[in-house]
Amino acid sequence: MKYFVGIDIGSTAIKISVADENKNLIGHKISASGSMFYKYAQEALTELLRELGIDEKEVVYTVATGYGRKLFKEADENISEITANAIGAQQAAKEYGEIKTIINIGGQDSKAISLDAEGNVVNFAMNDRCAAGTGKFLDVVAMNLEIGVDELSDYHFKSKGTPLSISSTCAVFAESEIIGLLGNGHSVEDIISGVHYSIAKRIVKLVKRVGVKENVYFDGGPALNGGLVSAIENELGHKIYVPKHPQITTSYGAAVLACDAFFSESES
Amino acid sequence: MNDEHTIETPKEKQNRHKAMEAIAVLNSLKEDFKSPIKSMDYFYDLFEKVYCRHEPLHEGKTKIGTMCIQIPSEIIYALDGVPIRLCNGFYTDDEIGSDLMPSKSCPLVKATVGLFASDNFTDKPDITFSPTTCDQKTKAGAIIGSLGHTIIDVGFPRTKESEESRHYWRESVKHFAVELSKFQGKKLTRTNLESAIKKVGYAQSLYHKLTDFRKNKIVPILGVDMFLVTNAFFFDKIDGWISAVEKLVAELEQRVIEGVNVVGKASPRIVYTGSPPIFPNYKIPLIIEESDAIIVADETCSSNRMFNDMVAVDEWNLYDMMDSISDKYLKACTCPIFTQNNDRIRRIIQLVRSYKGDGVIYQAFAGCQVYEMEQRSVLAAMEREGIPILYIESDYSPSQQGQLTTRVEAFIESLKNRKRMKK
Repeated sequence: MKYFVGIDIGSTAIKISVADENKNLIGHKISASGSMFYKYAQEALTELLRELGIDEKEVVYTVATGYGRKLFKEADENISEITANAIGAQQAAKEYGEIKTIINIGGQDSKAISLDAEGNVVNFAMNDRCAAGTGKFLDVVAMNLEIGVDELSDYHFKSKGTPLSISSTCAVFAESEIIGLLGNGHSVEDIISGVHYSIAKRIVKLVKRVGVKENVYFDGGPALNGGLVSAIENELGHKIYVPKHPQITTSYGAAVLACDAFFSESES
Repeated sequence: MNDEHTIETPKEKQNRHKAMEAIAVLNSLKEDFKSPIKSMDYFYDLFEKVYCRHEPLHEGKTKIGTMCIQIPSEIIYALDGVPIRLCNGFYTDDEIGSDLMPSKSCPLVKATVGLFASDNFTDKPDITFSPTTCDQKTKAGAIIGSLGHTIIDVGFPRTKESEESRHYWRESVKHFAVELSKFQGKKLTRTNLESAIKKVGYAQSLYHKLTDFRKNKIVPILGVDMFLVTNAFFFDKIDGWISAVEKLVAELEQRVIEGVNVVGKASPRIVYTGSPPIFPNYKIPLIIEESDAIIVADETCSSNRMFNDMVAVDEWNLYDMMDSISDKYLKACTCPIFTQNNDRIRRIIQLVRSYKGDGVIYQAFAGCQVYEMEQRSVLAAMEREGIPILYIESDYSPSQQGQLTTRVEAFIESLKNRKRMKK
């Protein structure tokens, strides 16, 4: 059996996906990037293959992507996370429908990608300023409110009042705004839904720069946050599709590309 | 998880956006300052009711929309209508209006157009009157009409010194009264007009009482609160407004006795002029007062210009009253649309003198050509008088907060320095 590996080395996590010859996802792993992501990436891959019972020799092609892709020298090829994300989304949403727009919120950036009918990237936009409105921002918010990131969604839906907007999306300044709001006795629920809407507004502006075409696919770690998903849907005015494993779309795309690359190389 | 929640309709989304804008400003007013005033709660609640909960105030009444300050509310009240001034401060509506207006136009006009375009009013005007003041408002009237709303132009002259202008405007006001009288099916009489003039006049006298407190060394009310009070007059029930301001006056009298100061002793006193701060666009006034200065007076059409000058009636005959009303809205007006506008400069200087202002902050909306153009003559005049002035261009977007704060803070610090040097 031949296997294909996609490895996405991001700012906060390393995501690895393994696909078979039919491009089906057969396993994945997410681990923290930490301080030495090259080493951690190798360890995580070895571990994943062991878990799946795959011999390293059966891995015939590896594609690396993400910020740290060039550090992973064992890869047969490396591609940008934009392309990998597009391919991964197309493949992951096969049963749902044709994806025309992708929203990706990562640890330190956010992207909007527009695809044509063939699934090629026609345009994309990225946030131009720091960590404003990214996964890191949500981490900081949760930390300030002394709750877990995975609890943000529950709090969001419990909000009864008007969402309290955070005017600065700079993670540092937002921190003092949040502390101020808490000090004045505002509810954690309203603060959280306000944070989600502030991020949603920013991301929808980004999406509008590339044009909104349905279907819209949302991935990256923050897509696990149902409150944020609902805020983006409200800002956008229609439904968005969140895959089963939103964190690994890009690495899955890299694995799919590895499969294509292998067979086209062996044909020629 | 995608299917659990329904998606907001465009109107629900617009309402939520506006509620978020409104609550942020109301929270700042309530929480960011020391010694809050109890009777301000009426106004905080009023704005929350209308802009966060979107509850109508005037069900069953005929609402008369006005596009500018020049439409005499006296005549509307005399004819049993409720005046609703449609000058709009919401960024949400500004963004909607941007699709219908050139990109470099005034945010206030764009926001008004946006509100009509979305047709999402808490109190929807049954008919709207548009005085032909600045180019953008004049043309906006046409856009609003093309969207299917009933809007009637009221011709307004661009020169105010000439007798022809005065005559033209008096005819315009009569024309307006005839149109409204037809619409309402009610006659304008000596009695109903007299009592309307007196009621609006009484509201103005309350405003004067409020501003008098700000001449004191110890100021008992913030400029941002004053803006909220005058802003409420745009749409509130006049009787409710009057009794709330009576209570406010009484509380401030008490505060003066007790020596309650809303700012520090050394806080610079600012006279505010230029494009009107209209709720919730209190960006610049909030920055000023959060930077340890206080707005003691203003020369803007959302506040001072609306209340300052009274209708001066010689004889209480219908036609005399009509002429007096017309003159008040033309002669006393210091809008920069006028060719010569030395009255405005005189007014600013007079405010600085009588309210002991340390400096002037002049805000122009980016895209408001007339305020941008008049900046030159006002700055030159202030320099001649030795009055420090800061000119700021801004719009409704929340994005430039940081840069604006730095500029305002630096200006306020320079005023503090000047004060110290003088001593």
